[in-house]
Amino acid sequence: MRRSPLSLAALVVGAYLVLSDGPVIWLILSSLKSRQDLFTLPPKVLFHPVWTGYQAVFGIGAASTTAIAVGLYESLVTSILVSVLGTFFAVALGTLAGYATSRFRFPGHGDFMFFVLSTRMIPPVAVLVFYLVMYSRLGLIDTKVGLILVTTFINLGLATWIMKGFFDGVPTEVENIALVNGYSRLNAFWRLVLPMVRGGIAATAGFCFIFAWNEFSFASILAATTAKPLPVKISAAMGATGMEWTQIFAAGVVLVVPVAIFFFLIRRYLLIGMTFGVLGKRSG
Amino acid sequence: MDESRSRPKRPRTLPDPWLCAIFIAPTVLILTLMVFYPFVSLIRYSSLDFSMLRPDVTPVSVGWSNYIDLLTDKDIWQRFVFTGKFVLATLSIQFVVGIAAAHGFQRDFRGRDLLFTLALMPMMFCPIVVGFLWQYMFNSEWGMVNWLISLLGIAKIDWLGKSENALWAVAIADAWTWTPFVILLATAAFRGIPTDIRESAQVDGASPAFTFFHVTLPMSLPIITIAFLLRLIDAFKQFDLFVAMTGGGPGSETETAAYSLSKMAFGYFHTGQASAFAIILLVLILGLSMVFVRYLTSLSNRI
Repeated sequence: MRRSPLSLAALVVGAYLVLSDGPVIWLILSSLKSRQDLFTLPPKVLFHPVWTGYQAVFGIGAASTTAIAVGLYESLVTSILVSVLGTFFAVALGTLAGYATSRFRFPGHGDFMFFVLSTRMIPPVAVLVFYLVMYSRLGLIDTKVGLILVTTFINLGLATWIMKGFFDGVPTEVENIALVNGYSRLNAFWRLVLPMVRGGIAATAGFCFIFAWNEFSFASILAATTAKPLPVKISAAMGATGMEWTQIFAAGVVLVVPVAIFFFLIRRYLLIGMTFGVLGKRSG
Repeated sequence: MDESRSRPKRPRTLPDPWLCAIFIAPTVLILTLMVFYPFVSLIRYSSLDFSMLRPDVTPVSVGWSNYIDLLTDKDIWQRFVFTGKFVLATLSIQFVVGIAAAHGFQRDFRGRDLLFTLALMPMMFCPIVVGFLWQYMFNSEWGMVNWLISLLGIAKIDWLGKSENALWAVAIADAWTWTPFVILLATAAFRGIPTDIRESAQVDGASPAFTFFHVTLPMSLPIITIAFLLRLIDAFKQFDLFVAMTGGGPGSETETAAYSLSKMAFGYFHTGQASAFAIILLVLILGLSMVFVRYLTSLSNRI
């Protein structure tokens, strides 16, 4: 009798896990290494950990006042502010647009949905050629307002598509019954439909936050000096003695923690979020 | 019976078309400002000889010459060829490894859910951090990768100093980040296949390999195609990793099309010509997106 070899499957999974999580472990270890320990061969697995990288990111102690660490904590704050507000606006507006596109057919409906989808596909550098001109005319270069606007924009299409999917999952009878019972449509939307897609809104917010938090291209051009978010800040972490690896890796670990938490919280919706709502079950 | 009872009363309420318009207006406004308006402006700029650094100089109209200059420039074609090679390299790794790993995860074993979550880890990292991490690990002198291959008796490789090696180094970093995406979608595809189909193939005496290649894979092709199109578009515009890992070097040999464009626009500030370049990229991407949407529509009609 032929049996599919269990050992082969285990081997594939095992090898993949080593390759995918090995670098993750290496990142975490390296974020705790002093300058000498970073460059020794064979690589050190046991070493005396230093916390200077994390201190620099959180603005604690002497490590945060060195020339190269200045502004690191401020950019963490910028990152949080921009991601949270950008997520809020994208989810709020995307929820409204998602409801409208789910419930009503208007002329150009299909074209509008494609237009919305195309925002996910656009190469940032292409539109940035114009954004830079526009932002400098509007005085939005290197401002948090400018960053929040662009963060809202990059997630708005995603939020609209995902939320449309969640609203599609709510039967129209809900509103019809409410309308017959004297509710206005706005009331029915606010009191009945919206609570039914709470889970969907939370999942959408999780995705928008992840993309906003990890965004680099737009911010690297539009906020290159004073309002840098953390990813842009660390890309410039060149000291007099080369790259500030400890700081970069510490920032990398700090950046991944909220993303990992959100991934865990919205794990049921991963497929929906990663495919623009194309795949996956959509119950609220 | 009074009038208000027989007809459901809906006083003081917005008519539906108005509500729809109000709900959708902010999104239309932002997308018009951030996509439509830039697109139209880029078309206008693309016919001008103009630099945003010199706003006082009146731009001169040059007709199609920005496009002609770009399309007759051998270096630009080289950038597209390099982009194509990179896309091909990273997609091959992602899909071979991703589908194999997803297949491995099909089996029920203890701790599978935890391991599956761990398998998704790379996708969570900020791309610029991924770039620096791999630049660190690919360092030819003290990098982890060269140390590991030296244990196998292979000579050190100058990963980021030579363009053909750097292509693979960045492709590996990109594939490392996005293989989890392929695993996620391939797993969804495999789960969507009714188990009795695979079981009956086994009962008929098909080998596991035969079942995989002739039953499982063809049946999961629609979702894998979706994954492929999404990854294709993303790989085509990959930018962050090249910034962090090679800076386009050595020379400009590892510049993708998007990277060249960013240098033209934000390094040399040839805004007019960069606009023409941007339009070319946008048209290419929109073409790919249309293929994607067509495919999705045909798929949803079939299901």
